[in-house]
Amino acid sequence: MTSNLLAFQQYQLAFTAYIRDPKKQSRPKNIDPVGIAVYKEIVFTNLFDAVSACFPVAQKVLGKRAWLRLVQSFLRNHSANSPLFRQIPEEFLSFLAQKSCSETQVLPDYLFSLCHYEWVELAVSSSNNTIDLTLVNVELGVLNDEALNRKLVFVPSMQLLSYDYAVQTISPQKKPKHPISTQLLAYRNSADIVKFVELNPVTFRLLSLLSGGEVNEALTINQTLLKIAEELHRPDQSSIISFGLEILEDLRSQEVVLGVYL
Amino acid sequence: MTVTSPRMHSHVATSSVSNITVQQPLNAIRGVGLGLKRELIPQIQNAFGQDYIANINFVEIAPENWINAGGKSAKQLDWFAERYPIACHGLCLSLGGIGPLNTDFLKQVKTFLHQYQIPLYTEHLSFSTDAYNGQHGYLYDLLPIPFTEEAVHYVAKRIRQTQDILGQQIAIENTSFYVKAPISTMDEPTFLNAVLTEANCLLHLDVNNIYVNSINFGFDSHAFLRQMPSERIIYSHVAGHHTQSQDLLVDTHGEDVIDPVWALLEDAYGLFGTFPTLLERDNNIPPLPQLMHEVNKIAEMQASYDK
Repeated sequence: MTSNLLAFQQYQLAFTAYIRDPKKQSRPKNIDPVGIAVYKEIVFTNLFDAVSACFPVAQKVLGKRAWLRLVQSFLRNHSANSPLFRQIPEEFLSFLAQKSCSETQVLPDYLFSLCHYEWVELAVSSSNNTIDLTLVNVELGVLNDEALNRKLVFVPSMQLLSYDYAVQTISPQKKPKHPISTQLLAYRNSADIVKFVELNPVTFRLLSLLSGGEVNEALTINQTLLKIAEELHRPDQSSIISFGLEILEDLRSQEVVLGVYL
Repeated sequence: MTVTSPRMHSHVATSSVSNITVQQPLNAIRGVGLGLKRELIPQIQNAFGQDYIANINFVEIAPENWINAGGKSAKQLDWFAERYPIACHGLCLSLGGIGPLNTDFLKQVKTFLHQYQIPLYTEHLSFSTDAYNGQHGYLYDLLPIPFTEEAVHYVAKRIRQTQDILGQQIAIENTSFYVKAPISTMDEPTFLNAVLTEANCLLHLDVNNIYVNSINFGFDSHAFLRQMPSERIIYSHVAGHHTQSQDLLVDTHGEDVIDPVWALLEDAYGLFGTFPTLLERDNNIPPLPQLMHEVNKIAEMQASYDK
């Protein structure tokens, strides 16, 4: 494609190639080295600050030098698609999902999960998912019999998360040695504070069934709990139902569950 | 089509390219404004209605920071939109960039401008995207376009495309630079004027950027000012900068405005009449009462030229 470019674009291409990879790419011809060095520094520093702000744990776990090298590799190897600054950390995640990120340095297996977990906080805090509250009965508690045959409404910022590592416990002093299947729920409460809740696999399954797919395809609370009982091969349906309802009522008190559809 | 002085408009900003009008008049942006930084938001909210911030007439935001934001940010933006006129100053449109203009993004900008009744959208005369290894990518910074004939036509065409999509004129900011493109065939005022004329767009005059470039490239900032097309000036910025060396200034917006930049703003008001002026402070932000000294200084300067 470079052959179709206008002369000034050829120059721009050489300019940004040098900024992205100053070790391998040569400076554009006849350019002032001091001037282009300013660009090399401001582009990298901006990107480094934007990425680092979202991943405080990951950068501490990797250590200063490895983190710096990783962000340098991000600039060198990733073409970011989004003009929105808020999405720079998301671009970093898609870079981490590429093979090229581990070409020049050995990265821990849990790094992607940890970074994803750290990014979720940003994604949930700025989520603009909305729900039409006029369609929701927020008064009727989940424990009310009438609610059983309705569909459950979750807070629209909710994300159900499943990781191979206990990401919420990772710190420089506590780096995971083995994978541990981990399920979490993240959401933003009415005070706009992001909260995480640890889930067991059954609750995770329950919430996945209740929140999955389109509203008109979703199962009612009762149908879902019966399905869970069936999946667990439990003949005592009523104890599963009452156990499930207690969990959902607890999530309602935490503002994860908003109510039921009218 | 000729452009009348935007400062003379008494009604709505109408597009040169379609009949769509924005909901707020362009002259809602007047007097002095302040860049809406996260650190300043709670301070302005707490001080709202108090005399000492009376000279803040409008606020400015970057659409790249606010589009599609929910939660606390959305509530803050609603709060400001109800109380202040808002100007939009973009960073990533990449008017001089390789690869097609991001029209999906521009449509989001258009929706955003209408949603918050924002009458003014300005962008930089720079590029922020590349095509490294054949892939288009954002670099999230303002990079210098070489001043060539081809670049004039290319950028002007993209500004026109932008105005077509938005259904309104946009303003282009003269950008600060740190390196001269060896392939440039004209100086900055010639390039800027050629783009403005060919694109038929407005000028967002950044006074600090003129000064920064005058030191970085050794020209007379006041002579530069005299080459600017008065009738296209709709908006301006003043800011502080970082002195890296005697002949290299970096546009950090992290310091107080210096005297030569104040003198340049005053010269501009004298030459062209006053225009809405925004104080940019992005780093090393002092508390609001201290920042108000500079806001008030702009207001006083405007008052003395508006007499």
